Amino acid sequence: MRRMRHTYVWFAQLVTAALIAAFLGIHMVLMHLEDILGFFGVEIHEPTSWGSMIERAGKGSWLAFYILFLAFVVYHGLNGLRGILLELMPSPKVERVINWTIIALGVIAFALGTYVPVALFQS
Amino acid sequence: MAQRQVKENYFGWRGWVWAGRYQVERYLYLFHRITGLGLVLYLMLHLCVMTVFRVQGQGIYEIIMRLFDNPVFKAGEYLVFAAFIYHGLNGLRLILQELGFVLGKPTPPVYPYKDSLRKKRPLVLVMIALVLIFALVVLFDFVNGGF
Repeated sequence: MRRMRHTYVWFAQLVTAALIAAFLGIHMVLMHLEDILGFFGVEIHEPTSWGSMIERAGKGSWLAFYILFLAFVVYHGLNGLRGILLELMPSPKVERVINWTIIALGVIAFALGTYVPVALFQS
Repeated sequence: MAQRQVKENYFGWRGWVWAGRYQVERYLYLFHRITGLGLVLYLMLHLCVMTVFRVQGQGIYEIIMRLFDNPVFKAGEYLVFAAFIYHGLNGLRLILQELGFVLGKPTPPVYPYKDSLRKKRPLVLVMIALVLIFALVVLFDFVNGGF
């Protein structure tokens, strides 16, 4: 497992890329393309308003959607950033610092991003 | 004593902006990197902003959303959307290549040779066309919705 670690990390990068394309596509279209959705018969009014946000926050399906989406996007984004930094061929010691900084950033970003949806869902 | 690898053909950070004798694919890679970094930066800002302002309740949230409702922020949102379109479609092309779906059939090495980059060039052109089409459709929605 340890020897194959880089392969698994890279494969997860590809899998999360495909999943993000679907999740982020849904998020962006719902939040920003009201006119085009209207053309296809889907009416959405002010998706970024407080009322719409609270309505979505009360549904378990949206909570699951956003937590999964956040996990995929944080992994993909920060692992991509790590790849760029490691391309600069740092020493093994600096590489360890980069790895742990990226992991810490990922945990903080995930905790920050899930706090409000979970709190709103419970309230 | 451990020795570092010799860095032949290694451009370092200069390789991020200068492609040497490489072709268009190298610049697509460069743009993939720029859009990726931009999207990560936006993600972090988005997470912080949405968390901080939603925690403070409806009043603050609505003030901030009204503040964002201006042409400068709308143009920024469009750039994020365009970066996502490019990064997503170019990423799909890279996945197809990485997993060997677009290698094509092996051909005998008859002069003039056709290298692997030129064999895959049609896919690159299709990807660029799709990016332009999607970016224009989204631009239409943004302009129609009122910048």
